[in-house]
Amino acid sequence: MKIAFLGLGIMGRPMALNLLKGGHDVTVWARRAESMLPLQEAGADTATSPAEAVRGAELVISMVADAPDVLDVLRQAAPGASAGLVAVDMSTIAPAAARNIHDELAALGIDFMDAPVSGGEVGAIAGTLSIMAGGSEAAFARAQPAFECMGKNIVHVGGSGAGQVTKAANQIVTGMGVLAVAEAFAFAAKNGVDRSKVREALLGGFAYSKILENHGQRMLDRNFKPGFKSWMHEKDLNIVMQTAHELGLCLPGSAATAQMFNAMVGSGLGEEDSIAVLKLLERLSGQA
Amino acid sequence: MKVGFIGLGVMGRPMALHLQRAGHELHVWARRPASLEGLAATVCATPAELGRQCEVVFTVITSSADVEAVALGPDGLSAGMAAGSVLVDCSTIAPDVARRIAARLGEQGIHMLDAPVSGGAQGAIDATLAIMAGGEAAVLERVRPLLACLGQRIVHIGPNGAGQVAKACNQMIMVAAIQATAEAMRLAAAAGVDCARVKQALAGGSAASRVLDVMGERMVKRDFAAGIEARLHHKDFGLVREAARQSGVPMPLTAAVDQQLNSLMAQGWGRDDTASLLRVLELA
Repeated sequence: MKIAFLGLGIMGRPMALNLLKGGHDVTVWARRAESMLPLQEAGADTATSPAEAVRGAELVISMVADAPDVLDVLRQAAPGASAGLVAVDMSTIAPAAARNIHDELAALGIDFMDAPVSGGEVGAIAGTLSIMAGGSEAAFARAQPAFECMGKNIVHVGGSGAGQVTKAANQIVTGMGVLAVAEAFAFAAKNGVDRSKVREALLGGFAYSKILENHGQRMLDRNFKPGFKSWMHEKDLNIVMQTAHELGLCLPGSAATAQMFNAMVGSGLGEEDSIAVLKLLERLSGQA
Repeated sequence: MKVGFIGLGVMGRPMALHLQRAGHELHVWARRPASLEGLAATVCATPAELGRQCEVVFTVITSSADVEAVALGPDGLSAGMAAGSVLVDCSTIAPDVARRIAARLGEQGIHMLDAPVSGGAQGAIDATLAIMAGGEAAVLERVRPLLACLGQRIVHIGPNGAGQVAKACNQMIMVAAIQATAEAMRLAAAAGVDCARVKQALAGGSAASRVLDVMGERMVKRDFAAGIEARLHHKDFGLVREAARQSGVPMPLTAAVDQQLNSLMAQGWGRDDTASLLRVLELA
């Protein structure tokens, strides 16, 4: 399939590479031309604008930072779109923003699907991302062969915005999950108990989780390299809190967690992995 | 002086009347003509027309977007106000929006003050509002005689936006105090103790506050009819959350109270008084 790929950051680059590996005809565009080089070497065509990238494509995929960027690149792409183009945005943005973009592009004859991912850089490289899609059946059917090159657990959750709702729910669970593991470790340490033993014991019971296993190990190793940067987790939790505000939804745990991530960004931990919330806890409890 | 007034709601109407009573020539514009009923003032067709006729214009409007539209939109104030005239925005809006409007008006030589108020409907009626001003000190001095018709405590906080920051701080403290009062009343009731007696005793000690007086009384009487509608505090907490985010400052208590307000809104109590936070506690 002829696919245009817009945005080649930490996530976008390996995702586009996996599309090439899957035998698709990929044209890439990125704001900084040098980001396109590795893709060009791997056999992708390059474009000088989003409009040029989508010319003749059946599918365009965007992977950028935030809602204004999504809107910006897709507006730029629209003049080059062929009839029946399906646009899939795999960035994490607010559900309401996704629905607005869907409506704006529908008026231009472009079928827009939100399909954010979970699994991080590791999952993007391995082609094992979880993909949560929101939009029409037709858009999902078109995008599915591309999704299968990039991810493993691919779920068409519902209509427009449903993918982003799912991703926000994912960020609630992972945000509180990381904080829960960090609190358990801070609790053990302040009580003079070996955290690695605590982790080992907990892994066998109901407290088992991937976060306890993977993020927990990285906390023990004090390996705070991202992974998933805490400023991005803060951004995603802000989407959760903003949506909760609009809907009249009481989320006390998410609200407390969002403030911890807010404090991380404000105190210089924003570029570290979200497990650096452990450092903040230690600071607050005089353990640092 | 010819004074314009836009936003004649619970707060704006008594404020406008005070200015008129002090001898100023009142010009008004309203999105809904019904809100002009009973006012003996010059009615203008658009904010631009009002701006053309007035030396100082007051706005008391609910949302950041609406203030921006009235100030800068088509037929907005900026299309009519002369260089050297002053916009005094008494609305509670986002500090960065206040700064943006001030900058745009400044390009045309129009001055702006953000001058949000605290004291509620009663404070507006009694002309006892606390006014927190952001903008140039000289501009504040020019309009101080007008502001003195509305309240006694007029404080110059700093440059544009600073008044809105102060108002955000005010809302955080006040609504958190309402929540604390509600929790105390809830605990007293759950323990089988007379809330009215508890409130009476507390009023003489270190926990005494205006919030305990006014909101505590509403809770004791279970009178949840608005004073200030809870939806407005809910709106303000959205602004506070965004400001906290922009500064990277943690606000765990404010965030927790914000969630109680979300719950209040979900119950459909947005047009009732914020004392309804007591009723939210009773849901659990």
